[in-house]
Amino acid sequence: MATFEVERQILPILGSPNQGARFYNPELPSSEPFVPGHRTCAGCGPSIQYRMTSKAAGDNTILIGPTGCMYVANSSYLCTPYNVPWAHTQIGSAGSFTAGVAAAYEAMIRKGKWKGPFPNIICEAGDGSASDIGLASISGALYRNHDCLIICYDNEQYANTGIQASSRTPYGGMTTFSPPGPEVPEGKKLFPKDLARMMAAGHPHCYVATASVGYPIDLMNKVRKGLNHRGAAYLMIYTPCQKGFVYETPRSIDLGRMVVECGLYPIWEWNPERRVYDYSFRPQNMRPVSEYLKLQGRFGHLHAEHIATLQQFANDQWKMMGVELPDALIWAADPQNQMHMAAAAEAEEVADTI
Amino acid sequence: MSTKGTRIPDWLKVPFAGITPGPSQDKGQNLFPTGNWRSIRPVYRDKLPPCNNACGTNEKIQGYLDLVKRGKYLDAYALIKEDMPFPSVTGRVCYHPCEQACNRGKYDEAISIRAVERFLGDLGQSLKHDVVEAGPSNGKKVAVVGSGPAGHSAAYQLARIGYKVTILEKSSKAGGLNRGGIPDWVLPQHILDREIERLIELGIAIKTNCEVGKDVSWDDLKRDYDACVLAIGLTEPNGVRAEGEDKEGVLYGLPFLRDIGMGTSKVKLGPRVAVIGGGNTAIDCAREALRQGAIEVTMITVEANTDEMPCSPEDLHDMLEEGVDLWHGRALTAVLGAGKVETLQLHPARFSGAINASPITINRNVPAERFAVDNVIIAVGQRASIDWLPQEFKNERGTIKIDRFGRLGDTNFFAAGDIAQFGSGQPLMVVNAVGDGKRVAFNLDKALRGEPLQPRTVAVDVIMDLNRMNMTYFPHFPRAHQSMLSPVTRRKTQVEVIQGFSEKQASEEAGRCFSCGTCNACDNCYLVCPEPCIARPERSNGLYKILVDYCKGCRVCIEECPTGCLEGVPELDFDTGVVRMDTAFAISPGLHGRQAEELLNLASRPAKDI
Repeated sequence: MATFEVERQILPILGSPNQGARFYNPELPSSEPFVPGHRTCAGCGPSIQYRMTSKAAGDNTILIGPTGCMYVANSSYLCTPYNVPWAHTQIGSAGSFTAGVAAAYEAMIRKGKWKGPFPNIICEAGDGSASDIGLASISGALYRNHDCLIICYDNEQYANTGIQASSRTPYGGMTTFSPPGPEVPEGKKLFPKDLARMMAAGHPHCYVATASVGYPIDLMNKVRKGLNHRGAAYLMIYTPCQKGFVYETPRSIDLGRMVVECGLYPIWEWNPERRVYDYSFRPQNMRPVSEYLKLQGRFGHLHAEHIATLQQFANDQWKMMGVELPDALIWAADPQNQMHMAAAAEAEEVADTI
Repeated sequence: MSTKGTRIPDWLKVPFAGITPGPSQDKGQNLFPTGNWRSIRPVYRDKLPPCNNACGTNEKIQGYLDLVKRGKYLDAYALIKEDMPFPSVTGRVCYHPCEQACNRGKYDEAISIRAVERFLGDLGQSLKHDVVEAGPSNGKKVAVVGSGPAGHSAAYQLARIGYKVTILEKSSKAGGLNRGGIPDWVLPQHILDREIERLIELGIAIKTNCEVGKDVSWDDLKRDYDACVLAIGLTEPNGVRAEGEDKEGVLYGLPFLRDIGMGTSKVKLGPRVAVIGGGNTAIDCAREALRQGAIEVTMITVEANTDEMPCSPEDLHDMLEEGVDLWHGRALTAVLGAGKVETLQLHPARFSGAINASPITINRNVPAERFAVDNVIIAVGQRASIDWLPQEFKNERGTIKIDRFGRLGDTNFFAAGDIAQFGSGQPLMVVNAVGDGKRVAFNLDKALRGEPLQPRTVAVDVIMDLNRMNMTYFPHFPRAHQSMLSPVTRRKTQVEVIQGFSEKQASEEAGRCFSCGTCNACDNCYLVCPEPCIARPERSNGLYKILVDYCKGCRVCIEECPTGCLEGVPELDFDTGVVRMDTAFAISPGLHGRQAEELLNLASRPAKDI
């Protein structure tokens, strides 16, 4: 087969937000492919993620949205807030549709029907599509190494249908499918599927990374790295859901930071060239998981042993990242040192009155 | 579905294009103005940073630190010059109330604001032409009596407005307390000379050796000038009412420093010197005594400990480093000796009131201490010398009687500086005198133009509190320290003790500023908005705008604003100045109405158009 030239877009990596002691974001791209006028909830985490992602990608971008919040809430009456070409696909066919778009552009360029640089093809699937229903097709797209970026915006449940458990819902998370009660006091008994690591292990030729909306510049840089990578890339991004997590809307970004700081959502990159994990990302400080849990209503039913179990899970994550654990976190993994949520809330109220 | 960038078949074009308007980058998807979901609206409102509030002359400290951060040194210098005529002087001598008030001081260490001010002042000194120019002349003449901080400031501000200003100075050199009260090793004379040259460049005439009451009378001032600012300061030293205070070898703090500063000192100090008093002048006297040849210097204060002393703690620390002894809780009751000071008699004493300006209680029932010295310097405050002033304008404190605008009755005479602030609760410091001079100058201008005057005390707006800011964005970072001469080398020379910042240090130090309560274009609100409904025409302080048609009131921007400039306003309970959204409810009939009309007309249109 004759070789053909594909003109590619290379997106520059943004600088560090902190210059010495000064907090100042780097110069951000001016294009705005995601515009206001959509009907996600106030303080929507996936929406923050969508905006940052599309801003990082720029105007020559094609967005693909399998069924999920970003389709249901955003494209009612056939009106979308997307300022670039956007298409909705079936929830199960996220990967195959994306692969099709990428392959079509390759073919059009080969045949000379598309002039100009290869577009950024981004599929933004919710965790329902990415971890349950569309897992097979996404795995296929990654395996065949189409030049695209597949993002799982991980709000840890099926949110647009009214908060049902997905395989990414954390241990202890309350959803309508995992209600806590006398038989199952913790709500959800299973630990979440380690989706990003599964993708990295199964498709080692792909760029795989995790990110969180709490670290916007890191997130935007990972999107750009994924798009600059020749071949398939996969990102899993933590995006809090105000309805499902039951928290005050202003805490969206704060939760994105806290989940990393308490170790429940390790941020890492998979380096496809050297085939190693890069665990060099470190949050500013480390906290016990209870600080993260107490902000959210979905964990309000947890007992001491459940919090300790989650702390043990977080400690394992820290160990896996090669971080030395402070004694306070090891101490917190013992159920005897934890209070259940209601008692902790009461104690805090009493402390306030004193 | 957006139609932009998609090729739509002709047969689909009309109904779909009619129903689904494409979004645009500037207007958004205006079919869904989601602003009517909101109950709380974010509003940008710049608040007063604590440093600006604490500064005696309300310098825009946060403003110039922000400019230094961005490398705009000349703009920063111009901003400082609005309120402060001589940043190179205050950058050396100020007791920096701004740093005590700095919010960063409650977090790690306060910003070294004075050092940055000095950096800017030294930059201004090196300029060939100053950034400030005299205002367009209004033909009126004003006399300023005294060329100390307050007089300097008043003359400077009046010249900027456009007055023809003459400064009357009784000494042979202009500068007042800046020259006579501050030793050379804190403020080198050439720095002050340059700042006074700047005044002459503004068109201000300085008459030295011209004392009011001797060379010029009250009536002369009234006749020759349209208005007059009396910034005569407190020039006469207080005594301690001890026996034998008139003996040879007894010196007074301010004249001692003044004669050295003016170059007319004939004093030869013996090896053992005692300093009476615990204020800044006393500290300067003690340190100057070392430089004038004293070997053992002892400071004797009535205050029971260092915390009570009315002085700058840094200067006290530097003084102790230079080897001055400090005695507390004693008062000088008699100076003993045959014609010359030989021994001091000390009794235990304390302040009988709560504040240290209250009367002193001396316990004479215990035996007195004797302390052998060669000289004693008494530095326990100053008073005014106003014999020439008409009796009606004198008050019971021995200073000038003024109203709250700084005016003497209904004359065109104004008083500023220590003479006006003594006893008013304001600290008698250089920066406070500068601020007073500035405000009185503006009042004088208003009085001559027949406008209502402003009170000398400034009304305070909301001062930004640390609790309302987001500290996540500010990592701990140590303060840059100015280098100093070592105590051993500096105690014998007149060389400046504290060294200035380099450019790198100054910009690094300014970078530590939180910009409390004030937008500094960090772009964080713009980046974290989920809508995104925060727009900015360009990235610049305070140019951010919230598209109220879309803002759902989630308050993420308020929570994530590092400086606390954003605040939430309940949507149904507006303060004045907030405009109610005008289109969130009104937009739909227009757009929907147009579409409904188009759909109705579809049937009547020829098929080939559809």
